[in-house]
Amino acid sequence: MTTQAPAREQGRATAELSLLVDIGSAWTKAAVVGRALGRWRIVAHAAQPSAWDEDELIATLAGRLAGAADARVSRRIAALLADAPRIAVHTPARPGRIALGAVSSELSGQAARRAAEAAGWVVVEAVTVDDGRPVVERLSALQSAEVDAWLIAGGFDEEGGEGALEVAGLVAAARGGGRSPVVWAGSAGLTERVAAFFEPGVLRTVANPRPSADRENLLPLRRYLDGLIERLVERGAARQLAPIGFVRAVAELARASRLRVVGVDLGARYATWASADENGMAESRVVALGGLAAPMLTAPGGPQRIARTLPVAIDELAVADALQNLRARPGSIPQTEEELAVVHGAARHLLAELAANGPQPRGIDLLIGSGRTIGSAPLPAQAMQLLLDGIRPVGIVQVAIDPAGALGPLGALRDDEIVEGLGTLRDDLLTPLGAAVVCRGGRTGHLSMRVTVHRVGWRSLGPIEVRPGQLEVVPLPRGQVAELEIELDPGVSLGAPRRTRRLHASVSGGAVGVVLDARDAPLILPRRSDDRRAVLSAWRDTFQREVRPPAEGAA
Amino acid sequence: MIEASLHRIHLPRGTIVSAQVGAEIKPDEVIGLRRGAMAPVRVPVTRPLHRQPGEIEELLVVKPGDRVEAEQPLALVEGGGVVLAPVAGLVLAASGRDGTLLLAPLAAEESVIGHVRGRVRAVEEGSLVIEVPAARLQGVGGSGEAVHGELVVGVPNPGDELRAAAIDAGATGKILVGGSRASAETLTRARAMGVAGIVLGGVLDKELRDFEAIQRRRREAGGMTGAFGILLVEGFGKVGIDPQLFAWFRTHAGRVASLFGADGLLYVYDAAPLPTRRALARVGDRVIAHRRPFQGRGGVLVGMLEDLHAAQSGIPARMALVRFEDGRLAPVPLANIEATVLPEGR
Repeated sequence: MTTQAPAREQGRATAELSLLVDIGSAWTKAAVVGRALGRWRIVAHAAQPSAWDEDELIATLAGRLAGAADARVSRRIAALLADAPRIAVHTPARPGRIALGAVSSELSGQAARRAAEAAGWVVVEAVTVDDGRPVVERLSALQSAEVDAWLIAGGFDEEGGEGALEVAGLVAAARGGGRSPVVWAGSAGLTERVAAFFEPGVLRTVANPRPSADRENLLPLRRYLDGLIERLVERGAARQLAPIGFVRAVAELARASRLRVVGVDLGARYATWASADENGMAESRVVALGGLAAPMLTAPGGPQRIARTLPVAIDELAVADALQNLRARPGSIPQTEEELAVVHGAARHLLAELAANGPQPRGIDLLIGSGRTIGSAPLPAQAMQLLLDGIRPVGIVQVAIDPAGALGPLGALRDDEIVEGLGTLRDDLLTPLGAAVVCRGGRTGHLSMRVTVHRVGWRSLGPIEVRPGQLEVVPLPRGQVAELEIELDPGVSLGAPRRTRRLHASVSGGAVGVVLDARDAPLILPRRSDDRRAVLSAWRDTFQREVRPPAEGAA
Repeated sequence: MIEASLHRIHLPRGTIVSAQVGAEIKPDEVIGLRRGAMAPVRVPVTRPLHRQPGEIEELLVVKPGDRVEAEQPLALVEGGGVVLAPVAGLVLAASGRDGTLLLAPLAAEESVIGHVRGRVRAVEEGSLVIEVPAARLQGVGGSGEAVHGELVVGVPNPGDELRAAAIDAGATGKILVGGSRASAETLTRARAMGVAGIVLGGVLDKELRDFEAIQRRRREAGGMTGAFGILLVEGFGKVGIDPQLFAWFRTHAGRVASLFGADGLLYVYDAAPLPTRRALARVGDRVIAHRRPFQGRGGVLVGMLEDLHAAQSGIPARMALVRFEDGRLAPVPLANIEATVLPEGR
């Protein structure tokens, strides 16, 4: 996006400023990019409920800059900000709604649903031949659904299948004509017969996401649905959509840094998972109702699941009300510690869901958390715990947050400009939390890992012994690099298959330090509620207590 | 003077709209007719025509998705027999295994009612857009169907709980304005007494779920009659209706209203403008708090704290100093309050 700065008035001091703005469904985040000591920096950032007007946001940013700006412009800073060029992204006004008909809920149905949800569609109704409902109920459910498009899946490519034709007929009967497109992503051999059920030109055919019982091929359907949502719901402005901008920025960051990067953006309505390899090849998952207002949190069983993972005793009924209020008023903030605990419990749960269904790279070098709940957590340690508990990134990973919400707007630039923007703002864009060594497995009574931290110019720390279910936090400030010497128990894995149980890794520090995490993946919690809360509060305390170095070893 | 708002009525597929653009409609007026589908029947096709089941597609003159009338040909053999539709219905599928056609008979014609009063602005695919000249209240949640009825205030004070005992036969067909909560028992009784809908300040999520579960079971068992909608105005938990809004409801008791439970929406006809809410409150504004520990409490914003301050949760926020109606003075995150503004701007 190219923007023009206003013409400068003759002889009057001015400032080179621009704004990066992410207008979310609940909160608007803005970062001011300005020149400080000859370098472009993020000089201020602020967030406010999206329902507030823009003047308020400008006034807040001006207030943050007032003390630091040059005296010649400080009185006009609000006007300069209001006129500054801006790069803005926004959350889609509404998600695309799709109805799904499939043969089996476990195979074709699940594959098609995952592809649709990854493209940002909301599956408002799903019927499958094996869903246990009478045909008339399925028909009625489809007829009542308010949708932008229809998706039919089922039948393996080699076999065809009567079930797929049955479900296509059901969709044809429920749809009853009209303009809404129908996507056929089922057995290739049935395409002509299914097309005959609809008016000419209505059916679009895409490769089967479940071509055989043992193979899944979601990408073509996912890509097609990406384009369809843009054509039907958000015409011609895809790059200005926050989820798309975020994915593009993560991809460019991965390419520029030659790292495998995973970025998660947890908003009020949308959740975005972006995974990119060293070449900048990105896979993403955009879940339209996957944010903190997600219906799954308040669905039956949801509050109970969240309550189980809280380190404090909050009864399920209070959790349910808190989650509903979060959904009803996403622009408000958790005021009490209990509310914050519930919000963080919900965020961990959503991140776990996102990670479980998101495209998984071969190991993660850098994990980035974005969105207000993560990026503006009261303590960096809370943000670190949210990311590690939710995603369980097995391996050795650097962890950072995007506190200003600037990644989305940067991703709205042209490809070459993104690289330039990332390079220019490299010191301010992300706040490093530190590194984590997250292992899977472990044997009771044995150490999971023994880690020695060799710090350049400082005495070494350790060896630090970490048992299954434990975690340790080792101080390592931002900018400091350490060499980790890790000795793993044979029952423990860091993700990739390794012959040696000893390995070395270089990590850099951050606001939290280095987390040695032997809590397994996924997290295993005691069944008894008292024991569970004791374990959860011990983990929370370990993250949040002032980090003290363990016994120092030889230099 | 109330400004008309546009309301979109979602029409189930297959509805034949009878309302014309420009027509004035009433809440109980029929705007379209629809024939739902009944449990499908299998119509033998290949056997009467003395063909193999696998040949069914060559014989059919209809296809899945088609709507057929009774006695309409479904399949035929040139110079041979014909298979006619036994009833009017929707063709769902043709089976090559047993040579039958799956046909969902159409049920008797049902009237589709819009539940709103206004002028038809547009007829679109799957919906009708109505210009509704009414006071419009958007709640934070709701449940149930679209209903309409006369407004009745069911509690003396906005912070009172609506009790089951307060609902009698006089409330039948009415939209009842409750207070800070209603139990599942109260909601069940209200529905059983024929109450059209209930407006509440708050409700416990658990109570609402219990009520919905009871309704679901009754629906499955059959015998459930009449629609019922719930509108939630402030939030979840025990939360009173804002006293200004409650006073407005009191002055509008007896007016006809339309409640859309699933959309969390209420229209009140022939009404004065509602007290409105402004997201960003200013010093001197009357405000209402939305998060615990002050959820649902009203007060006056008496000052703003300079810079960011940590809320009890530790989140740094812009804090407003609010003098609540019970006399307490407390800092509250500005994002957690809304200004309540009377129509005259007071």
